[in-house]
Amino acid sequence: MDLTGAFGARSAAVGPCREPPGLESLHLGGGDGGFTALLELPPTQAVELLHFTDPSPSSSQAAAAGIGLDVSPPPPPLHAYGALTFPSNAALMERAARFSVMANEQQQNGNVSGETTTTSSVPSNSDRVKTEPGETDSSQLENNRCGKRKELDKKARREKINARMKLLQELVPGCDKIQGTALVLDEIINHVQSLQRQVEMLSMRLAAVNPRVDFNLDTLLASENGSLMDGSFNGTAMQLAWPHQVTETEQSFHHRQLQLQQPPQPQQWPYDGLIQPAWGREDDQGHGNEHNSLMAVSENLMVGSASLHPNQVKMEL
Amino acid sequence: MASAYNPIYTDVPEKDVFALHFLQTLSNLRTQNSFSSPDNKTSDRVKKIKKAAYVSMARAAGGANRLWSRSLLHQAAKRNNKNVRFLRRKRRVTWLMRRRSNRGDPIEDVAAERLRNLVPGGGGMETSKLMEETAHYIKCLSMQVKVMQCLVDGLSPK
Repeated sequence: MDLTGAFGARSAAVGPCREPPGLESLHLGGGDGGFTALLELPPTQAVELLHFTDPSPSSSQAAAAGIGLDVSPPPPPLHAYGALTFPSNAALMERAARFSVMANEQQQNGNVSGETTTTSSVPSNSDRVKTEPGETDSSQLENNRCGKRKELDKKARREKINARMKLLQELVPGCDKIQGTALVLDEIINHVQSLQRQVEMLSMRLAAVNPRVDFNLDTLLASENGSLMDGSFNGTAMQLAWPHQVTETEQSFHHRQLQLQQPPQPQQWPYDGLIQPAWGREDDQGHGNEHNSLMAVSENLMVGSASLHPNQVKMEL
Repeated sequence: MASAYNPIYTDVPEKDVFALHFLQTLSNLRTQNSFSSPDNKTSDRVKKIKKAAYVSMARAAGGANRLWSRSLLHQAAKRNNKNVRFLRRKRRVTWLMRRRSNRGDPIEDVAAERLRNLVPGGGGMETSKLMEETAHYIKCLSMQVKVMQCLVDGLSPK
């Protein structure tokens, strides 16, 4: 596929009226890889290639078959190519000059996976061209096909991993400047470990702080209501959004109240989401300090984040 | 937070979702009798809070949609002797594990193993999937750390 373009290039360079019938149907446009294949080689070697096919049409046919092409009619007047070396060389050099610019541009722009796969797989194909002479047909055919596929797979996989590595590098602070996959991965691992350690530290601190505060979910939610609601939030909307979870915790809360017979607290806590009654009830209880601290906590949380959208909450729950 | 288009999907919900889940889990902890009694050892309490943090983080991050959160919740449920069943794509996991044997790049593999030990549920994943999960995990972890920091700051004596 890459070298059909090469054959087409050769025939085009030699003589336009001489195009062998089998090669007419080949893409020259898609043969950018073919041109660059030829152009990777220094000009003398390119000319050698041209010469190489000269001595016997059968060996060129073997070469063509070995490269995995299905060019059934061999390019007929091969001996004539040898006689035309000098002008073909010049024409080829001119084309080389023109297309090397294109190739360079392609390689610079081609950071996307498809481009890099083609340009990087091409030199290996040209290497195979050099080592062609004297190899049998069919086994080489199969090996080349599987090899190409494996290489393409490997390239694709590496591209995937590199893309995700970039993503991780953006996440982890200070990873942009590090060169090399292994070091970046080490840094990422360190970051994950440090985050997990932070969680553990904070949970220890929470446990130390905890016995001081009676952690009351309903009051917390009420105070969160207070900071979030601009009047746009309906109590019913909230109830719709968090129906099962809220009522569950309310029920568990009520259960505890009834079972343990704690000091008098309102048995019913109608969750209407309105500010005034909630505040009023909290004042009645007389747990002023604790509730203030809890409210401060929730204010802290809410101030630092965007406002809660009911849609988002519904999605998450 | 404006989310730019990323073909690799690693969006994480806002801070309040995490906060809500964490507080709910904590309050569930409170309702357990063993927790509020003062003769509880601190280490046990710490462990419970840590568990609560991870479970709430897994829930907030989207429950069973992510592999790491799924395995976290599964582990937590096992500890409580509950049989929680997730919709698992069994065939796909085994197919992936079979293909994993072919794909080894020695440079990445060592670090990939370490990552697999760190990120929950990393056992059966290919390296590219593992890195997606790690990115999401890191985002969620940092969210959770922020929430807990706010809580501690708000509750600590001044």
